[in-house]
Amino acid sequence: MSHLSLKSLVAAFLMLVFFTSGIRAQDGAKLFKQNCAVCHTSHTDAHGTGPGLKGVFDRVPKPADAWIHKWILNNEKVIKSGDPYANKIYNDNAKAAMTVFEGQLDDKAVDAIIAFIKGPPPAAPILAKGPSSDVAATENVGGIDPLYLTLGILVILAILIGALRSVRTSLQNTANRSEGKEENPEIGFWNEVKGWMGTNRRLVGVFSLILVFMGMKGCWDACFDIGVYYTWETKNGYKPEQPIKFSHKIHAGDNEIACQYCHNTVEKSRHAGIPSVNVCMNCHKAITEGATTGKTEIAKIHSAAGFNPLTGKYDESKSNPLKWIKVYNLPDHVYFNHSQHVVVGKQECATCHGDLKSMTLAEQKNPLTMKWCIDCHRQTEVAMEGNPYYERLHKALKEKYKGQYDVKFTVDKIGGLECAKCHY
Amino acid sequence: MCGLTAAILLTGFTSCGKRDVNSPGVEFMPDMYRSPSMEVYGTSVFNGDTIFSSQFLPVKGTIARGYIPYGYPNTDEGYLQAGLNLKNPIAFSESVVKEGEVLFGKYCIHCHGASGAGDGKVGLKLPGPPPPYTSVALKNLPEGKIFHSITYGKGVMGNHASILTQEERWKLVYYVQKLQGPKETASADSTKTGNAKEIKKEEKTK
Repeated sequence: MSHLSLKSLVAAFLMLVFFTSGIRAQDGAKLFKQNCAVCHTSHTDAHGTGPGLKGVFDRVPKPADAWIHKWILNNEKVIKSGDPYANKIYNDNAKAAMTVFEGQLDDKAVDAIIAFIKGPPPAAPILAKGPSSDVAATENVGGIDPLYLTLGILVILAILIGALRSVRTSLQNTANRSEGKEENPEIGFWNEVKGWMGTNRRLVGVFSLILVFMGMKGCWDACFDIGVYYTWETKNGYKPEQPIKFSHKIHAGDNEIACQYCHNTVEKSRHAGIPSVNVCMNCHKAITEGATTGKTEIAKIHSAAGFNPLTGKYDESKSNPLKWIKVYNLPDHVYFNHSQHVVVGKQECATCHGDLKSMTLAEQKNPLTMKWCIDCHRQTEVAMEGNPYYERLHKALKEKYKGQYDVKFTVDKIGGLECAKCHY
Repeated sequence: MCGLTAAILLTGFTSCGKRDVNSPGVEFMPDMYRSPSMEVYGTSVFNGDTIFSSQFLPVKGTIARGYIPYGYPNTDEGYLQAGLNLKNPIAFSESVVKEGEVLFGKYCIHCHGASGAGDGKVGLKLPGPPPPYTSVALKNLPEGKIFHSITYGKGVMGNHASILTQEERWKLVYYVQKLQGPKETASADSTKTGNAKEIKKEEKTK
């Protein structure tokens, strides 16, 4: 009974707070978002940089409001005063100091924040549910493969030929019998074919020539596929499933994160770099739910980093590397340098890698053959104007091609076709 | 016999027509594609365990070429000391600020927003957006503290020492300072009641 009355009392108090300070609580929400939300969540247990504030009024020493007010204004002072609870949470949170708000927030603002934390949780933002962007799953659905269609037609034709042949022989036999002649001697199918081929030599020759050329063309085309995973007609290439359903579209497209943030060695090294998990964690420490995959995929990053999202702590012994699958493979006998192309050559990522900002699953968008490299080196003009890297070379080239006006300084003019540039 | 040849033909045809997107294709002389040398992100067998090269830590005491140690620890005390003592070693110039701006556009903008107001696309998805550079708390932040925060991270922000070199971080500091605007000279009144005034204004408009 007493429990019930206490509950109703609290409810009445909450209502009172809510009604008397409607505007205030709203300000509180705004102030909370500006000042506190960076580290705390207001109505959940989720541990950000600081603890989640659900049930905080039951945890802190009574009277709770006054204590929290004191704490928000100057937590250092409270800790130094020897308050046992204050020291306990300070130590529990690895002695990470909270910002002192004295001088930044006045009493009224702090009360507004407290009223907000105490009030009902704000309506959760409704996540926009876009259409499933799993392109791989929707591909090749419906319609019959033309190959199966031709095979089916061939089978039907073969059956027809067989049937017609037996019909013809039986008809001929009945005709012979009625005319009183002898029945045709049983000739084997192959013997008959041989006979036909003997009488139609020219036709057979032409057909066999066509067949031989088709075979050669097929072999020639197949040679282009060796070591190249790329379909020339459709411009589609290698598109392996990755251990995490990482979407370039969401990260680089929708959220406009620069390529270099994750592939941050692209300007400094030969390799563009696959981000280590700590780079993922820079955002995913706080963002634990994805737009399309929910929590499952981000939980994989957390387990790879040994991160516990409930406590907000890392356990390095539990970390394990992610086995990303390399999409753009150059053979080991080719040297390629990213920084050379991106920094000195001023090439955009999309020139070689396609529009990754619209790709859910990364896909090889260029054949990466030597012809492809060479073609680009023949066509691309070197950005020499205002490029200190080429100052000397630019001068020398101007000297060399003096008097010729339509010379384009393409990459091949500065040695872009030298064998040893890439093969050594 | 006939069935067998038909089956072989059929599989032959189908394998020509369709490719497995998970397969990297046929390789001629695979040993030239994948040489036995150690590869970046490759694996190697060490004491019977398969180990990723990224799991290897350098030998203790190894220092990377051009590495400059950063002497302030990732503690509150270190933060405070960095704010007091650390000064930008790069001479100020307009071109350095420009370089800082380019770096900002690659490494900061998605959370902090183009003007540093904390309104980047990712910033708005965080539980709490990053505080604006012009806010009371950050307006007068000394350069040492800015550098320290980029190096170790602060609050929700993560460690960016692995992404940016010290030189790049200092260039960023210049640009962040540009976004902070001119420093306020400790006029205590305006900072103290900044938020309160805002609220009052809003109440009045309502």
